[in-house]
Amino acid sequence: MKSLVDTGALFPALVVGRLLLALTNASDVLKHNHQLSTPLTSYLNLQEGIYLFKNGIDPYSGGVFRQSPLFLALFTTVLPTSRIACSLIWTISDAIGAWALVQLWRARQRVAQTSRDGLIAAAYLLNPYLFLPTLALSTSTFENTLALLSLLFAARGHASPSLLAAAILLQLSLSSVVLLAPLVLLLASSPVSQLASPRAFSGNVKIIIPLLVEFLVYTSVLTLVSALVSGGWAWIPQTWGAILTLPDLTPNVGLWWYFFTEMFDHFRPFFLMVFSIHLLIYIAPVCIKFQYDYLYAAFILLGVLGTFKSYPTMADPGLFLSMIALFPEIYPYLRYPIVTTLLHLHAALLMPLFHHLWLNQGTGNANFFYASTLVFACANGAALTDCVWAGLRIAIGPPQEGFSVVQE
Amino acid sequence: MPRKPRLVWLLCLPLLAASHSIPSETFEEELHVRALPDGKVASRFSFSVLLEGTSPRNPQNLSAEDESQHYTLFPLTLGQILREYAVTELHLTLNAGNWNYGRWGYPDEVDVGSGAELWAWMGEGGTATVDERWRGLRNALAGLFCASLGSLDELRTTSPALFAPSGGLPDWGMHNPHEIRHASLPSEHVCTENLTPFLKLLPCKSLSGIATLLNPHRLFDADWHGMGLHVSWLPEAGVQARLTFQSVTDPLRSSDKRDWSFASIFDRKIERRCPSATASHVVVSLPDNGAYSIQPPPPSIDRASNAAVFDLKKEPVEFDAPLDISMQWPNDEGFEYNLVPQTPLSVRRLLHGSSQDRGSLAVSISNSGNESVSVAYLETLPWIVQVYLHSMTFSINGVPRDDILRNFTYVPPIPHARAMELTLNLEIPARSTVLLKMDVTKAFLRYTEHPPDAQRGWDLPPAVLVPHGGKRMYTPTLLLDLATPDFSMPYNVIIFSCSLVAFIFGSVFNLLTRKFVVVKVESK
Amino acid sequence: MASHVHPTDTTLRDPAGLFSESIRRLIIASYWLVIIAAIPLWWQTTSIERLSLPTSRVHAQAANTLRFPVHIRLENVQDDSLAPALQQFVQERTQTSGLDVTVDDKDADSYTITLAGGPPLVMERQLTYPVRSGTLPALADTLAALLVPPVDVHRVAQYSPRYRLAFTLLNEDAAAGTSISSWDVSRAISRHLSPILNSLSVLHNFTVESQVQFHAPLAFSPVALPHGYGLTPEDLTVFVNSAEWSLSSSVSNDPVLHFILFIPSESHKPLQILDSNGNPSSSDAFLLPQWGGIVIYNPPSDLDSSQLPPSALTSVFSTFAHQLLILLGVPSLLPEMRTDPSSALTGWQLDALLRRRASENADGARDTLESIVKLVDQIENMPVGQDVRGDVQNSLTALDKMYASTSLNETLHQSADALTLASRAFFNPGMLALLYFPAEHKYAVYTPLFASAVIPLIAAAMREFRAWRKERR
Repeated sequence: MKSLVDTGALFPALVVGRLLLALTNASDVLKHNHQLSTPLTSYLNLQEGIYLFKNGIDPYSGGVFRQSPLFLALFTTVLPTSRIACSLIWTISDAIGAWALVQLWRARQRVAQTSRDGLIAAAYLLNPYLFLPTLALSTSTFENTLALLSLLFAARGHASPSLLAAAILLQLSLSSVVLLAPLVLLLASSPVSQLASPRAFSGNVKIIIPLLVEFLVYTSVLTLVSALVSGGWAWIPQTWGAILTLPDLTPNVGLWWYFFTEMFDHFRPFFLMVFSIHLLIYIAPVCIKFQYDYLYAAFILLGVLGTFKSYPTMADPGLFLSMIALFPEIYPYLRYPIVTTLLHLHAALLMPLFHHLWLNQGTGNANFFYASTLVFACANGAALTDCVWAGLRIAIGPPQEGFSVVQE
Repeated sequence: MPRKPRLVWLLCLPLLAASHSIPSETFEEELHVRALPDGKVASRFSFSVLLEGTSPRNPQNLSAEDESQHYTLFPLTLGQILREYAVTELHLTLNAGNWNYGRWGYPDEVDVGSGAELWAWMGEGGTATVDERWRGLRNALAGLFCASLGSLDELRTTSPALFAPSGGLPDWGMHNPHEIRHASLPSEHVCTENLTPFLKLLPCKSLSGIATLLNPHRLFDADWHGMGLHVSWLPEAGVQARLTFQSVTDPLRSSDKRDWSFASIFDRKIERRCPSATASHVVVSLPDNGAYSIQPPPPSIDRASNAAVFDLKKEPVEFDAPLDISMQWPNDEGFEYNLVPQTPLSVRRLLHGSSQDRGSLAVSISNSGNESVSVAYLETLPWIVQVYLHSMTFSINGVPRDDILRNFTYVPPIPHARAMELTLNLEIPARSTVLLKMDVTKAFLRYTEHPPDAQRGWDLPPAVLVPHGGKRMYTPTLLLDLATPDFSMPYNVIIFSCSLVAFIFGSVFNLLTRKFVVVKVESK
Repeated sequence: MASHVHPTDTTLRDPAGLFSESIRRLIIASYWLVIIAAIPLWWQTTSIERLSLPTSRVHAQAANTLRFPVHIRLENVQDDSLAPALQQFVQERTQTSGLDVTVDDKDADSYTITLAGGPPLVMERQLTYPVRSGTLPALADTLAALLVPPVDVHRVAQYSPRYRLAFTLLNEDAAAGTSISSWDVSRAISRHLSPILNSLSVLHNFTVESQVQFHAPLAFSPVALPHGYGLTPEDLTVFVNSAEWSLSSSVSNDPVLHFILFIPSESHKPLQILDSNGNPSSSDAFLLPQWGGIVIYNPPSDLDSSQLPPSALTSVFSTFAHQLLILLGVPSLLPEMRTDPSSALTGWQLDALLRRRASENADGARDTLESIVKLVDQIENMPVGQDVRGDVQNSLTALDKMYASTSLNETLHQSADALTLASRAFFNPGMLALLYFPAEHKYAVYTPLFASAVIPLIAAAMREFRAWRKERR
């Protein structure tokens, strides 16, 4: 195993393994699974949208297709739509994501190759939270790949590709706007780990405004392209609007769906507003606190998204968990990694079980699944807070006998 | 001046015509009774009132004062509704049970979909839109028939062009075309409350004439029964309102013989003639073979349709009141069922899948004829169930076929707002059964959107099969099982979810804002 | 809070040197910034639309009373002292009814009194009367009866700008014996009712409809008499069998006045109306207050057609016309007054009706507006939308215009508008939306989030604020 890691053969081997897995019929079973894909990322809805689009019916005139028109443009022209071809495309996307994660690690360490490369690729390609949604052909796979690519390009200082990837990501998922601030600031500074030696922001402040303008240009162009593809603006309320107004209450692993199923009609707009604003409230504090390491700020914000976004799949917290591999320096400072792991294990087993008991078996009710999503949220919250703690604690130095570090 | 008197005459003519502005009205009633192949007896009452020489109200005149309405036989309450909402054609049916095409053949009245079905053709134009008038019409008819037609709201309304008008549509100009609105409510239960207002619309109520036989105690005990109101405009004649009542009763339920009489089916006899009816007939279809006897002896027989005709208005009176027609098969030892399919086409629809979040809709359409038939299949589903058209497959005996579907039109559903409407134009080959399958997903509703008996499920309206140039056929309704939230949970969920969010939020906030300090641990 | 001292004997770095105070304050401020920025959204997503109503204008209306100037011209009268004297007498008699009566001999668009002998003759807006100083009190009485005629308010239907007149020919049982299956209703209406409807068109619009029913059983059995059957006064109150007779429809909100011609069945013929002593009365018609009129017609058994005979049609419809006048509150002339038989109504009657309806409407509108303001004041959760406020404002404007208007028709028109708008505002369904949403419920929904999420924020903000003040000192 050691030699395999060293020779760098692990990454190709993992990709081949994943491609073989993609050729199985797993996706036929998994594509219906509510934990792995949401109405906004479901492969079935994507296929239905493509079918309607091909038959001259506006897919955005109904309520089933809520994905970006960019998918329509790609899948009706260059990309094939057969199941096998799709499985391969999705797996390749995952491989690109894994490659980007490895490159990100190298950029952070300022080295060409390390012995951890294979381990990091494995952390991405073998993470069940990530490869199961890919097998289910959930489009969240593309979101993760794009997020990693934009971070990678930002770490390497390539502004345009990074912002373009972020703009495409925004087309696919409005919530990703949260990542924009750390991304731009990362472009203005460096990806190298500074967690152990906090200092004030030292990057180039002047380029922030031009970067934001560039991002706006890309977004406007992509929005226009989407409007041209779909022949109108109806896609905006169907895709971005759905993220804010939650018209489809199909269960998922997040906190929103049951809350708004049970919400009183009068308070629905208010709580939709609170839950949406809540995502934004983290941006400034996290970016200010981790102003010496924006890659870490982006990582924390991905954790926030994975816990609190409106239509999350397993892949969203999955990306956060896999990214922990980038920051080995914080491991000694984690306070309760065992508890977090057990919570995740607990939730990952309970959710499919209770989902099945409720919807298929009929012996459970909605509260079962709701309770397991609460456990899952606890697990994500525990991972998030522990990473915030460790990211700050590391600066004070390694633990010393007889002293402890606490917060007032 | 020999021409002068003539001129005066001509001037007077329009005045004379104006003073006789009340249209002449005719009322015709007919009862058709026939024995069905399976021994049951189908009876169809039809009461039609014709307002001669009238035409529907043009919606462009809705803002102007309407002309005075004077009716003799036409029900005023119905006339008011038609004028108020400028309805050109209207069909309302309230049926209980599923019509069994295979055993009973085609019904006399084609609209036999279970539950309530309402469709209307209305002209565009004027101050109120078609949708506003459609809403008003629903509520007015709900009040008139004591039925919950008010819940035939936008969530159930579609505009299927397949429901062609049975009468004419006046031409009110290019920019004011007629539009159809259709809605059905399969869960509507038809009962005596609906029959009473129905009878009130008849000139003779149920007190004289054929309508005497409409005995709610017997009719609502029938295997199948349904009432209908059909208003249409016959360009040559005028506005016609037709009230129908159909029922299928089973004489075999109480005996092993298929003999029937008015007394046995309706528990009533025709005691008196309706004075205001211009025509009043009882038509009894006669068996093609076998020995039978009909009492009283029919005064005339219609050879073309092999039916006995009793004319209740004919002078001199041909029968003694009260009239109780009865039919007997004296040689029958006991009735044996004849289970040959009575219609060349048959359609079955099923919802497969035990899961509460998805399933698969399977429709099998059989053509037992010797020629292929082109049919239109119309599915109108509420938004709570969503079909995946990309998964639509056609097969015959398990062999996939791609030559069945000619084309389709589809109006996708909008969550919480609009129903789905799918029309498939199919070609069914001779002597074969086509199986149509498609996946469906079921919606998850807000807890306030569930009905009080949420666990019971939702009735899906019948699908409609229309053979090219043939009669509409309705499928039975389906019961859709939806996942339900826990209705007692709102506050719990608010407390749990909010507390968890607040806890994680607060932890992150504290981590980011509190001062770190190093403290000495006192160890012994 | 005593500030913590970093231990000296440790390899751990002093956190105070790593994370500056300003960064911490910036973070707390950035949290608060987002929350403050979201407050307008909070307000927008939860506020009940509760626009302010023009309360002071509504209360100011209460002080207003509607007054009508009435000008009477004494024609061809030589004695100059008669006019002031007559004015004095008339004012005494019409004091409480809001009239400002002036009597003189100037030519103006008003009422005229012409001197002539014989009994009083009432023409359009003219009164012919033997005016002498001795007849002045009697003349004043006559004028008072014309200007403010007494009306039985219990029988008069409530004002509506539009009425539906529904004429129904009811056969108790057409299948047995003589029945009437048709009537020339449109001719009868144009002959007997159209003149009335035309003169009243300044007050109301009318929709006319008619129907025939062949089976309309009574809900009770009439009293058997030696020659026929009778309806006691108690029977009359329950005469209308709403369950069996399909008379009304809910298609529009306009009030309906019903006129029913009832043909008793063979077994109840002849049907007569009895007085309170049980004796047959001479009348074959009766009025149901505010509802309509009913005429009973016993067809002769030798009737040769099923159409209502013309003579009967005339008498039935003149009864209907009379009943209509009562239901609409048209004042009748005193028995001793003569009038022109060719005109349906005199100007005196019409004006009196207009004045009465206008002041009723004005009172009704004022009361309704007061109630709305009071109700909105009492119930804090009651939403007040733009449509309600608009209706209230327009109603007030109509009232203002009413006071300013110079013609009687205009006054009535504005008063009717004011009443309609006020009622529409009062019955606006949007005002009920949150009536049953108690404040406790609101706290129960808000508390789980705010108690646990906002309290740390507030605590941190206060701590920082205190520390900042300490540093400044």
